Amino acid sequence: MRSLLLGILLPLIILFVWEIAAVQVNNPTLLPRVEAVAGRLIHPFSDLLNTGSFVRHIIVSASRVILGFLLAALVGIPLGLLVGRHLLIRQIFSPIIEVLRPLCPIAWIPFAMAVFKTYTIADVFGVHYTSSLFGHIQLGMLFVIFYGGFFPIFLNTVHGVKSVKNIHVESSLLLGADQRRLFRKVILPSALPAILTGLRVGLGISWMVIIAAEMLPGSDAGIGYLIMFSYELAEMDILIASMILIGLVGTLLSYGVKWISDRTSFWQAKER
Amino acid sequence: MAFLQFENIEKTFVNERREEVHALSGLTFDCQKGEFLCIVGPTGCGKTTLLRIAAGLDRADSGTVRIGGDDVKGIRSETTLVFQQYSLFPWRNVMDNVAFGLEMRTQDKKTRYSLSRRFIELMGLTGFEKAYPHELSGGMQQRVAIARALAYDPVLLLMDEPFGALDIRTRYRLQEELLNLWQEERKTILFVTHTIDEAIVLADRILIMRDRPGRIERSISVGPPRPRDRRSKAFLELHIKIREVLEKIIN
Repeated sequence: MRSLLLGILLPLIILFVWEIAAVQVNNPTLLPRVEAVAGRLIHPFSDLLNTGSFVRHIIVSASRVILGFLLAALVGIPLGLLVGRHLLIRQIFSPIIEVLRPLCPIAWIPFAMAVFKTYTIADVFGVHYTSSLFGHIQLGMLFVIFYGGFFPIFLNTVHGVKSVKNIHVESSLLLGADQRRLFRKVILPSALPAILTGLRVGLGISWMVIIAAEMLPGSDAGIGYLIMFSYELAEMDILIASMILIGLVGTLLSYGVKWISDRTSFWQAKER
Repeated sequence: MAFLQFENIEKTFVNERREEVHALSGLTFDCQKGEFLCIVGPTGCGKTTLLRIAAGLDRADSGTVRIGGDDVKGIRSETTLVFQQYSLFPWRNVMDNVAFGLEMRTQDKKTRYSLSRRFIELMGLTGFEKAYPHELSGGMQQRVAIARALAYDPVLLLMDEPFGALDIRTRYRLQEELLNLWQEERKTILFVTHTIDEAIVLADRILIMRDRPGRIERSISVGPPRPRDRRSKAFLELHIKIREVLEKIIN
């Protein structure tokens, strides 16, 4: 209770200062008042600037992120397990990964737009309902989200596998484990906390990358697009409300993964 | 023919400072089936290396190790090893740690658990089946590790200073429990320790190793019947005798 009160203190001060500043500035296209933004937020299903509601934009952004993130996990975890376990595979992959890793995913956005144009999942699978969700999931966006999510997932998985304790490996072999069981019953559970950390960081980065990708030309929906569009129309209340929503959804995603990892990695923090 | 045979074992390895260490040289000894053999010796005499070779975790450079007449070429299903400490799987509770070895043999959870329960009981861990290693004291963790090794039902049980990190009371109690178990199950036990007292309490026979390079200096049979009184004359005489051999090695 005490920590909740303390935690809410600073946001309240910020809101208060913001409100005073907004009244002083007295120009909603520069700094809208708190109640104008709040007014937008309490109607999450109302249409905004003929582009759809907050909820719709968030669903579009979230589906792009979740799909790209799942792809990143689907490739990053198995590849990380392999690279962590086998020296030969590690020697093949290490150099290229070291070079690609510091390359910011946002730097790939123009490249991805050039290569994938505006092709969507709907185009690929030939399901042409223009209003469907798939019509909004552009391949270029999937690519950059995949790229952003891949490295933390992959690198943490490698780290998790490499830090499996030798005494656990030897103990399991001395209790009759074969290679398959060693992997399933020792390596995988040992590496799980690190893998989940990777997923959490990866999801966070994916969520940042999508906002950037949606701000670029060619984008037609999503919460990043809404920010850019409301900027162009000087609708600052929508812009700020969108920013708040991005923060909230990001927090929610992060806590979701944390909730799972706290339940599966409870032993790790306390291990001596 | 002896159950476990070490013949002319040579082992050299390179340490962290890239120096060659001649760990074992001309190491030869036998161990009968069902025998409780303790190994004592100064630090760094290759006791652990010896156990790791017996377990099939490490290979000797030359010489032969045989178990039941077969050359040891790797880890064998009739052998297991209890490490000094921290070998439990931290993501598994006590029951699932103890049942680990059985999991490799039987798919049936009920069978596994009922077999494991017996060793949990024997090691005085009843009531802690659902506890995780981090919730247990060092002594309890070590008891779980021993229960886990016993539930695997090895013919040859190797133990590397399993009570080394424990306080003296826990240590005495576990020695007693291990002896009771051994008398019941008649496993062949190779037990490494650096306390003379522990070796005399437990062993049928004590091997004294010398260091640089490691090999067997003396083999001493322990006469008095168990349980052995630490304050008896025979015990103290044996203690002094072993101590003299060890002191001569160190000087």
